[in-house]
Amino acid sequence: MSAASLDRTEAASSARRRLRLGRNRGPIIAVLAFLICLGLVKGVSGGTLGYYELSTLAAGGATLAIAAIGQTIVILSGGFDLSAAAVISLVNVTLAGHMEDTASSIALWTAGGLAIGALAGAFNGFFIAILRLQPIVVTLASMFILQGVTLLVMDKPGGQIPAGFGALLVGDAIPGLLPMPVLLLLALAGLWLLLKNTVFGKAIYSIGSDRDAARAAGLGVRRHEFFVYVLAGALYGSAGVFISAQTGSGDPLVGNPMLLQMFAAVVVGGTLLGGGRGGPIGTIFGAYVLMLVVNILLVLNVPAFYSSIVEGAILILAVLGASITHSSVLATTLRTARRRIAAHRAGTLPRQLRLEEHRLVLPAATPRIDRPPFWVRHAEGLRNALPAFICFALVLVVTHFMLGSSLVSWRYYDSLIVLGSFLAILALGQGTVILTGGLDLSLPWTIGFCGILCAGLLKGSDAALIYALPAVLAFGCFVGFCNGLGIVALGISPIVMTLAMNGILQGIALVYSGGTPDGFASPGLRWFMTGQIAGVTPVVVMMALFVIGAVVLLGKTAFGRRVYAIGNGVRAAELSGVPVKSTIVKVYVLSGLCAALVGCLLSGFSGQGSLGMGDEYLLPSIAVVVVGGALITGGRGSYIGMIGGVLLLTALQTLLAGTMLPYATRAILYGTVVLCAVVALREKNS
Amino acid sequence: MTRTGWVSAFVGAGLIGAVGLGLAPAQAADKYKIYLSMSYIGNDWQGEAANMVKAMAASKDMAGKVDLQVQVSGPNAQKQIQQINAMVQAGAKAIVVYPISPTALNAAVKNACSKGVVVVAYDAEISEPCAHNVTIDQAEAGRVTAEWLAKKLNGKGNIVAITGVPGTSVDTERTKAAKAVFAKYPDIKIVNEAVGLWSQAVARTELSKILATRKWDEIDGLWMQVGCYTANSMQIEAGATADKLKPCAGEGSNGGRIQMLPANTEVEGANGTYKPMSAPRISYASPPYSGALALKLAVQKLDGKEIPQHTTLPLPLVTNETIKLCQEGTWAEMKSGCNAFKPSLVSNPGWFASIFSNDTPEVGLNAALVGQPED
Repeated sequence: MSAASLDRTEAASSARRRLRLGRNRGPIIAVLAFLICLGLVKGVSGGTLGYYELSTLAAGGATLAIAAIGQTIVILSGGFDLSAAAVISLVNVTLAGHMEDTASSIALWTAGGLAIGALAGAFNGFFIAILRLQPIVVTLASMFILQGVTLLVMDKPGGQIPAGFGALLVGDAIPGLLPMPVLLLLALAGLWLLLKNTVFGKAIYSIGSDRDAARAAGLGVRRHEFFVYVLAGALYGSAGVFISAQTGSGDPLVGNPMLLQMFAAVVVGGTLLGGGRGGPIGTIFGAYVLMLVVNILLVLNVPAFYSSIVEGAILILAVLGASITHSSVLATTLRTARRRIAAHRAGTLPRQLRLEEHRLVLPAATPRIDRPPFWVRHAEGLRNALPAFICFALVLVVTHFMLGSSLVSWRYYDSLIVLGSFLAILALGQGTVILTGGLDLSLPWTIGFCGILCAGLLKGSDAALIYALPAVLAFGCFVGFCNGLGIVALGISPIVMTLAMNGILQGIALVYSGGTPDGFASPGLRWFMTGQIAGVTPVVVMMALFVIGAVVLLGKTAFGRRVYAIGNGVRAAELSGVPVKSTIVKVYVLSGLCAALVGCLLSGFSGQGSLGMGDEYLLPSIAVVVVGGALITGGRGSYIGMIGGVLLLTALQTLLAGTMLPYATRAILYGTVVLCAVVALREKNS
Repeated sequence: MTRTGWVSAFVGAGLIGAVGLGLAPAQAADKYKIYLSMSYIGNDWQGEAANMVKAMAASKDMAGKVDLQVQVSGPNAQKQIQQINAMVQAGAKAIVVYPISPTALNAAVKNACSKGVVVVAYDAEISEPCAHNVTIDQAEAGRVTAEWLAKKLNGKGNIVAITGVPGTSVDTERTKAAKAVFAKYPDIKIVNEAVGLWSQAVARTELSKILATRKWDEIDGLWMQVGCYTANSMQIEAGATADKLKPCAGEGSNGGRIQMLPANTEVEGANGTYKPMSAPRISYASPPYSGALALKLAVQKLDGKEIPQHTTLPLPLVTNETIKLCQEGTWAEMKSGCNAFKPSLVSNPGWFASIFSNDTPEVGLNAALVGQPED
C-alpha cells in the first residue's frame, strides 16, 4: 500500500468518524447537558447521589421522556403533534376509572391505554397523511376533542390505580441495580435502534428531509406518515399508562401542561424542527435535563419570583451548548462580526470605498401586459381564505336561529369585533412569524407583562397615556428584538427562544408587580374598549384601520414580499438578495409590538392588568392563522384569511357560550368545527 | 467535537455556577428546614398566598425557628412530584404545598411521609391519607352562595353561571353543589354557563360573549366563582344605575367588597367602578391565608404538638349586612370585623380580601401585600 493511498484511507476514515460524530452531535450534547446538570445538583447540594436518588429521578422524568420520544418521531417525519398531552390525560383517566387489581385487568387496560393512544394517532394520521391536512391544525383540533372526551370520562381528579401496578412500573427491575423506568427507556431506545434500520425507520428520516424526494424515490409516503402518527400515539398512550402507575390515580388535567415541555425536550435533545435530523435517544436526555431544572432551582435556592427566569436561561444555555462549534450560527455570527470590524478598520467595507455605480439601466417603459382580473390574480389567496369565511357565515346563521336575531343586530357584530380584536392583532404578529416558518410562544407573557406595565404606568391617568403607551409598545418591540436576535444571531430554534423568553417575561412580571399587580387603566383607555359612540365601540374603528394597514403591510410593501420569500425558501430568498436576518428580526419585533398592543387593550378592556391575563391567547393565535389558510411551514397565507379565522373562531365561541352545553361538549364541538374548516381548505391536487 | 463539547461544558457550568454563588443558601442548622412547594405563581391569588407564607415565616415567633425556602414547579404535576422528591432528598423537615393535583402527588407525598417529613397542603387537597390538608369546604361554598342568590331572587329568575377551571375538584364540587340548590327552585333557570377560569379578565371575555346574544334585562342574577366585580363594572358601563345592579354571588376580591359598601361611603382612592355602589352581593373566598396557617401547623407538628389531619377553615362570607371598611388593615382591626380595604391601600381590585383568620395573628394586610408580618 502506498503512502498516498494510506493517507486517503486515513482521511476517509477520519471523515467517516467526523460524519458519525456530526450526526450524533445532538444526542451527545444532550447527554453532556444532562451530566452537567446532574453534576451541578450533586456539587451544590453536597448530598448523596446513590441508587435511590437516581431511581427517583428516573421515575420522575419517564413520562415526559416517553411522550417526547413519540413527539420526536413525528417531528423527524416533518410533522408536529399538539394532541400528545391530551392523549396522556385521556389514558390516565380511563385507566383510573377501569383498571382493577387483577393481573388480567392490568394487562387488559395497559393494552387499552396503548390502543387509545394508537387510535388517537390513527385519527390524526388519517387527516394528515390521507387527506393531506396540516399537522398543526389537525392535532390542535384533536387536542380540543380529546380534552373534551377526557372531561366526559372524568370531570374531576379521582379513581384508583392498583398499587401493585405502580410498584411494577415505578419500582425496581433488578433491586439496587436497575430501576424499572430505566429498563423501560432502554427497551424503547433499543426498539428505536432496531426500527431505525427498517424501511419504515429510513422512511421517517427521508420524508422529514424532503417529502418530494422521498416520494420520487418510490416510498409510500402516505402510508409511512400514517403509521408515524399511530406509533407516536401509542407512545403517548404508554406515557399515559406510566403516569397512571406513577401517580396511582386519575386527573383530567394531568397531561396538559406537558405539551410545551415536550417540544423543549425534543429540541434540547438535538432534533431539528422541520424534520430529518435528530432522534429519540437525545430526546430522552433532553427530557431529563428539563426535569433536573427543578432540582437545580432547589439546590440554588432561586427565589420563587425568579424561578421562571432561571428556567428560561437554563433552556437557552442547554441549547446554546449544542451550537458552540466551528460551523454553528453563533460562531459564524461572531466570525462575520470580527471580519466586518477588521474590514472597517482597514477601510475596505463596500460602503467605505466610494465605488462607482455599476447598476444596470433598464429601459423605462416595458410593453404593457394585460393584467388578468382581480379574482384570477388572487385565485389562490381567495381559495385559501374562503373556507374560513364560509364557515363564519354558517356559524352566523346557526347563531341567528338558535339564539335570536343576531344577524340583524349591530350589537352582536360590535361585540364580535371587540372580542375578536385581540386575536386579530395577534394574528398579524403570529401570522407573519408563521409565514417565515417560525412560531412565537412568548405571546402569553408579553401580553401579560405589557398589560401589567401599561396599567402600572397609567395608574388611572389619561395624561399618562402619552408616555405609557409608547413605552409599553417600545418594550414589546424590544422583546421581539431579543427573540429575533436569539434566533438569527445565536441560531436558537424559534420554539426554544420564544418559550424561554416567555418564562423570562413571567419572572419579570412577578418581580415588577411583587406578586400583586397594582395600577389600573385610565378612563380614556377603558372607554376606548368598552364605551360607545352611536352604538359603535371605538376600538372597532381602530380595527378597521388596523386591518387595512396589515393587508397593505403584508401585500404591498417590500417587507411583506420578503416575508413570503423567506417562508418559501430561506436559501432562495438569501440568494435573491433578501436581507433574511434583518427581516426575521423585524418579523419578531412586529409580533412583540402586536402582543404589547394587545396587552394595553386588554388592560383597558378589563380595567386593570392581572398576572396570567395573556395565557388564553397562545393557542388561539396559532389556530386563527392556520384556519385562515396559512401554511404552518411558511410562505402561504394572507391576512384577510386570518381575519376570517378570527371571525369564525370568535363567532363559534360566542355561539357556544350562548348554549347550555357542558364545557366538555363545547370543546369537542370547537375541535370538530376547526377540523371541518380545514378539511374544506384542502388542496385538491396534493 | 470533543473540544467543542468541553467548551460548552465549561461555558454551561461557569454560567450556572455564577448564578449559584450569588444565591447559595445560608445553612441554619438549628432551624427547621421547611420548603414551600408552589405549583404555579402566575396569578394574583398565588402571589398573595406566597407573600403571606413568607410573612408568617418572618414573624417574631417563627423567625428563629424556621428556615423557609420557597420553590415554584410550574403548573405541571410531573415537576411538582420531582420537586417534592428533591425536597425530601435535600433534608426537608416539613413541606408546605399548594398541590396542582389532589391525586397525582400521592405517591411522592407518601414517600415523603415515610421519611418522616410533615406534609401540609393548603387550599387544594391531597388525597393521600398521611398528608395534612387546610381547605375550605368547597361544596359548602357552592351551596351557601347559591342559596343566598335564590333567596335574593325570591326563587324566581334567569341566572348566568361563570365557573372555574374545568376538571378540578374545587370547580366541580362548587358547581355541583350550587346546581343542586338551584334545582330545588323550579322557577330559577340557569340561562348561560361559561368557564371563567377564576380570572376577572376571562370572566369579562365570557360575559361579553354571552351579552353578544343576550341583554342585561333578560338576566336576573349571577352566580360566579370569580367575576362579580367585573359583572358590576360591565353593568355600569352599559348604563345601569347603582340601584339596578343584579344580585351577584361570587368571589372575595377587594374590588367586589368595595362595591358592596353603601353608595355614599367616602373611600380614599376610589376610581372608576372601583368604588362603593351598594352592589347586592354575597362574597366568599378560598382565603389566601391558608398557606400561612399551613406553615404554622407544620411548625406545631414539628414542635411535637398534634395537629388535625384535615383543617376545614370557616368559610369567609360577607354580605351587604356585614361589609365593613378597614382603616389600616392590621390583624387587630380585622378581628373587630372589618373586611374590605381602601383602594388607596390596595390598588388592584382583583386582589383577594379574605385575609383574616383568628388563628393567624402574625399576618395582616402588609403580609398579603408585601410579605411583612405584624409586629
